[in-house]
Amino acid sequence: MILLPRGNPVKENIDPGKVQLPDALQKLQKGNFTGYLRFDTTRGVGILIYDKGRLISALFEGASEREIAYDAIALIFECSLAGNANLNIYRLSSELAMSIHALLHGQVLYKGQEVKLLDIRGLLGKMKEDKITGCLRIYTSDHIALIFYREGSPLGFFHDGSTDLEKSAENSLSVAKLPGAKIDVLTAQVSEEATMADLQASADIRALWQKAHENVTRDKRSREAEVARSLEEREKDRRQKVLGLLKGVAEKSLGRIGAQLADKEFTRAMNGQGVVSESVLDDFYQRLGKAAKLVAGPSTVKQMVDEMQRGIKALMKTD
Amino acid sequence: MDWNIVQLVLWLIAGIVSFYFSIGNARVWTSIAVGFGLILLGELLPQAMPFLPGASSPQIEAMSYILGTISILVMSHGFQEYYVFSRTLELEGNKLLVYVATLGVIFASMIFILINPDPTPSTLKVIRVVEDTNWVFLSLINIDLIRKIYINVKDSPISKGFIAFMLVFIFIFLWRGSELYIQVYDLANPDVSRLFPFRYELSQICSNVGNLLAGLSVAGTFIYLARLLR
Repeated sequence: MILLPRGNPVKENIDPGKVQLPDALQKLQKGNFTGYLRFDTTRGVGILIYDKGRLISALFEGASEREIAYDAIALIFECSLAGNANLNIYRLSSELAMSIHALLHGQVLYKGQEVKLLDIRGLLGKMKEDKITGCLRIYTSDHIALIFYREGSPLGFFHDGSTDLEKSAENSLSVAKLPGAKIDVLTAQVSEEATMADLQASADIRALWQKAHENVTRDKRSREAEVARSLEEREKDRRQKVLGLLKGVAEKSLGRIGAQLADKEFTRAMNGQGVVSESVLDDFYQRLGKAAKLVAGPSTVKQMVDEMQRGIKALMKTD
Repeated sequence: MDWNIVQLVLWLIAGIVSFYFSIGNARVWTSIAVGFGLILLGELLPQAMPFLPGASSPQIEAMSYILGTISILVMSHGFQEYYVFSRTLELEGNKLLVYVATLGVIFASMIFILINPDPTPSTLKVIRVVEDTNWVFLSLINIDLIRKIYINVKDSPISKGFIAFMLVFIFIFLWRGSELYIQVYDLANPDVSRLFPFRYELSQICSNVGNLLAGLSVAGTFIYLARLLR
């Protein structure tokens, strides 16, 4: 799970599956957007970071997968098209965007440390001593705040709603005071702004989108086929159970020839239909009744059909 | 006691029950029932002739023998159809066709008898031999056919009815076989019977007992079947 403060919202709660993402990204590029896009999907979270219209970072983190750059973009597209995804767009300052990029691609030193069990003073001293560049992430289930450090010295604070690194520690510290607050210590790799590649310029975003579209369509078809197969299997199983019951009752009432008659008339009543419906059964009872008159009297036949109907009713209830 | 009256009563019961039985049942039963019903007519006519004014014509006697022949043919057709059903579980045709076809054959036979010269005693004997021959050999075939049907429907409610039918055809074979023997060797001729009194007596007894048992068993079988298929 990628934990980032929300920044200054541009758009929130958009269904990315209903948006032509290549066009949207192009708009962001042309509009010199700086900030990040957060995709919350069923498979994980995807982040696209923009700096002055350049897509400088793409990351996708799921339960068991972590993709960056083009692979991350492709995965974000796929998950968006698959549905049940949520897109939020937040504006940030260029410095903050770069800091987040550095943070997301950095390493985790400590994770999920309980604030109340931690010697904060000691931890900050250690960061200063080790000249750590990175950040402290303080979070609860509802709030997140980041404190950025460069070579052990605090740079500024980033919390929900801010667009720039703030100098006031008040908001960030208020998160630390919340019950159940935790701290992660992360190191960041600082990249020079000038050396950052524009992923959007170097990748064929439309091709990635098209491919994601194809993959999602293929997966959808395969899922539908799987569902149809499993439905067919279930119906086949049900058909076998129904036939077994009908044959059993017919054999009990008419002997071996009864079971054979039930088998034959059931196949005829089904007439290639996949589902055992009420009309199929009515047709079956009528056919069986007619044929059964050659080996049994009307009362025996009626008794047999009644027993079959009771059995089918019970079978349908348990099915 | 006149055994002929007893036999007539028995065939009457068989005829009535068989026709009643064919109502509301499938075509195969119709053929079998019509066959047994026609035996009644074939038996009734010669017996009734002395009491019906104007019915002593040889044409009526010839017709009664022809009715006997048609009856075993229709009946055998019914058993054949039942055997096919018991093997393939297929039901074919309709009852009306059985009635119409049987009536058609009877009507054609009547025309045939009427457009030809009056049947002489010798012609009547030949027609009777043909009738009995048909009965004898078709009875044997039917016994085997019914045995096969019984195997196919062994544990169904009707199965025991087929054992009863086998018994019926065994008695019919005995009855018609002895009659055929008497006719073929002309044992009814006093000159011949005097020479072979035992054979003639035995054949006569077999014919009468066979006829009685056939009548008894067929009446019983249809009553039993009607109860089985109630």
